[in-house]
Amino acid sequence: MRKGLLLVVAILVVGLALSPCAWAKSKTIKVGINAPITGDIPKVGEGSKYAAEMWLEDIKAAGGLQVGGEKYMVEIIVEDNESKPESAAKAATKLITEDEVLAIVGPQASSQAIPAGEMANNYGTPMISPWSTNPDTTKDRPFVFRGCFLDPFQGPVVANFIKDEFGFKKAAVLYDIASDYPKGLAEVFKEAWENINGPGSVVAFESFTTKDADFSSQLTNIISSGAQFLFTPQYYNEVALIVQQAQELGFKGPIVGSDSWGSAETVKLCGEACYGLFFSTHYAAAGATGATKEFIERYEKKYGYTPDDVGALTWDALRLVQKAIEDTGKLTGNLKNDRVAVKDALAKIKEFDGITGKMTFTPEGDPIKCAVVVRISEKGEFEFYKSACP
Amino acid sequence: MANDTSVSAKGGSTRFGRLRAYVADVPLLAWLLGGLVAVLLEQTVGDTLADLVGLPKVPVLFGCMIMLKEPTLIPSALIFVALVYGAPILLLGKLMARPGNWMADRMTSWPIAIPVVLHLVLLYAIMHFWADVSLYRMLTLRLTLIAIMLTLSLNLINGYMGEFSCSHPGFMALGAYAASAVMVLFFVNDRLFGEALLPEYLGPFIFPAALVLGGIVAALGALLIAIPSFKTRGDYLAIISLAFLFIVKSLFENLQFLGGARGIKGQPDYADLPTVFCWTVLCIWIINNFVRSTMGKALNAVRDDEMAAEAMTVNTRFTKMVAFLFAAFWAGIAGGLFAHTVRFINPGTFDLKRLAELLAMVYFGGLNSVYGSIVGAVSINLLGEMLRPLALYKWIVIPLLLILVMIYRPTGLVAFKEFDVRKLIQSKRKPEDEV
Repeated sequence: MRKGLLLVVAILVVGLALSPCAWAKSKTIKVGINAPITGDIPKVGEGSKYAAEMWLEDIKAAGGLQVGGEKYMVEIIVEDNESKPESAAKAATKLITEDEVLAIVGPQASSQAIPAGEMANNYGTPMISPWSTNPDTTKDRPFVFRGCFLDPFQGPVVANFIKDEFGFKKAAVLYDIASDYPKGLAEVFKEAWENINGPGSVVAFESFTTKDADFSSQLTNIISSGAQFLFTPQYYNEVALIVQQAQELGFKGPIVGSDSWGSAETVKLCGEACYGLFFSTHYAAAGATGATKEFIERYEKKYGYTPDDVGALTWDALRLVQKAIEDTGKLTGNLKNDRVAVKDALAKIKEFDGITGKMTFTPEGDPIKCAVVVRISEKGEFEFYKSACP
Repeated sequence: MANDTSVSAKGGSTRFGRLRAYVADVPLLAWLLGGLVAVLLEQTVGDTLADLVGLPKVPVLFGCMIMLKEPTLIPSALIFVALVYGAPILLLGKLMARPGNWMADRMTSWPIAIPVVLHLVLLYAIMHFWADVSLYRMLTLRLTLIAIMLTLSLNLINGYMGEFSCSHPGFMALGAYAASAVMVLFFVNDRLFGEALLPEYLGPFIFPAALVLGGIVAALGALLIAIPSFKTRGDYLAIISLAFLFIVKSLFENLQFLGGARGIKGQPDYADLPTVFCWTVLCIWIINNFVRSTMGKALNAVRDDEMAAEAMTVNTRFTKMVAFLFAAFWAGIAGGLFAHTVRFINPGTFDLKRLAELLAMVYFGGLNSVYGSIVGAVSINLLGEMLRPLALYKWIVIPLLLILVMIYRPTGLVAFKEFDVRKLIQSKRKPEDEV
């Protein structure tokens, strides 16, 4: 027994002497990623993680982050929020108090970004949600920013595009009432369309519930209402079903979507039925130029598939954080003050040249940026068609 | 030394058994004092000590996270945990055993409330100082306490009553929405309900009422299931309650004045640690009394053999109804507290995943047992946090543990064990020592 105890003590002492952190505390900037690695939307979490890894590679290649004449090493801490609200709040709090990150990127979906944003704002840590479109995420929260445009902007973009492109008068909308993003966008779109074409111009406003797979009754209503086109702000798995069923039932007009279509899975599931359709989104992968093209090619080479908008938006959010840190001019080492400095620098950023467009933050922390209308080409690629700016 | 042999013979020859025998005479009071000293020690010299052993900062959940993340830091973390928690608790517990036992003996002649309150105050002090070190600990602790309430109330149905209910997240949702709606309507300037109707200083007083209202709404929901399903026997409750869960979720998705799918955010921050602690203690106390009452025994009788119970003049239908509504009531209150801790709810929060989590806690901890509910809720919650560095593998380790528990202890870790407060706080001195 005594021998065993001695052995344990000896091992502990040796281990202690060899432990890396024991002797030197290097200057490191930590950035937290709060992403849904497990849960309902693991693909989104994966995209965020990959973008962050690529960003870290860049920083490492540059030998660290240059702030006010000093080089800092950068560490990324990926925390899984299991796509649950309370887990997102826990992950955010852990990043803030335990890992002592300077800024957080994520969570992506609004139902996690709202509670996590609460924690970030309460504890004075800048947070950028790249993908959350719910206004509540940033509302009255000076420390919380977002990387994408909001639904109140996207709705009119789609409405104006259809009006200019086709000159239609009668619209139909099909959306999931149980999911916050499609529902919010459907309502905004309806309002925007009726502003252009007068009340009653949305002739069918049909809804369904998450995981429904048969839309024939709604689509029959839509067809009999005489709508000239269908707007459906759904996710990729539903898009495929809706488009295929609409065409089988004999719907002739175009079907238009929103940024939730922008996943590689859309075309994979939908196939030829989706060719030639339009949707509004943050960026177009096919035919991209400059930094966007470079990002896409690097991502494809490294991970084997074209990045969807989450990856690109996360990349931009990380670059925003990087720029804000650089703009502070000097890090004091006092985490609380540095976080405030980063927040102030973020709020001041003007005309940031991101791969998803130029951005300037409003006082609410929402970016003013352009949307892109994408056409699904005959090869199944997302082609840039038109851009729409506020 | 002669004493030593007899002890080791009693406690088994393993080292663990010896340790157990060594601390067998330590009463709860002494443990709590030891714990209190440990957390105070951590708060005062924790940072210095962490620096000394080379840890970046005080390990947040007993060093588990840092050990998994940085294997080279395992010795440092172990030393830290041993010095801050292990040594004070063990030494002080042992040292205070005598006075503690003496005190416990004295207190047996007092009304039971006094020693119980004393123990609770100590327990709260430990939690308070422990959670004071980090906001992350605070949040985890609050959510764990809420999980205890949920697990215990679900155990009432699945363990004590022996039916299989799937609607617990639904009850939780009813409670969460009712409490949130009241609090946000009255005290928050909000997009959904407009201006606050009452001045803010009234908030903390209305909050308990809002929680109770949430509980009542949940109980009313339970009544809806109870009426049809208790006319039948067997697995019907599982199916009906599962349907109820979907109905509730879809109800809140479609109720636009409650935020629809977007949910409610910005609940006032009233669910702090003392509040959650008090509610949890109240919940454990009342449910424990319930299951030990005649009604609770009748409930067990119904579970074991409904026909026999009926023959023994137990009103089975009434018993089942009361227990079911009672469990739903506590789930509703826990839901209200949950909403005010996370400060955001949406219908998606209360789905099948939540049900799976709750069921896991109940069956992991142990059926038909208050101890089991506490053990289950605490271990699943803490494991979920401690194993964070494992990322995806966390979801292999935790289910694996569950499977192992199901194989070796099919009814859970601490099943069918009565929670007797008197026994818990009594003196642990053996009769022969008194001579």
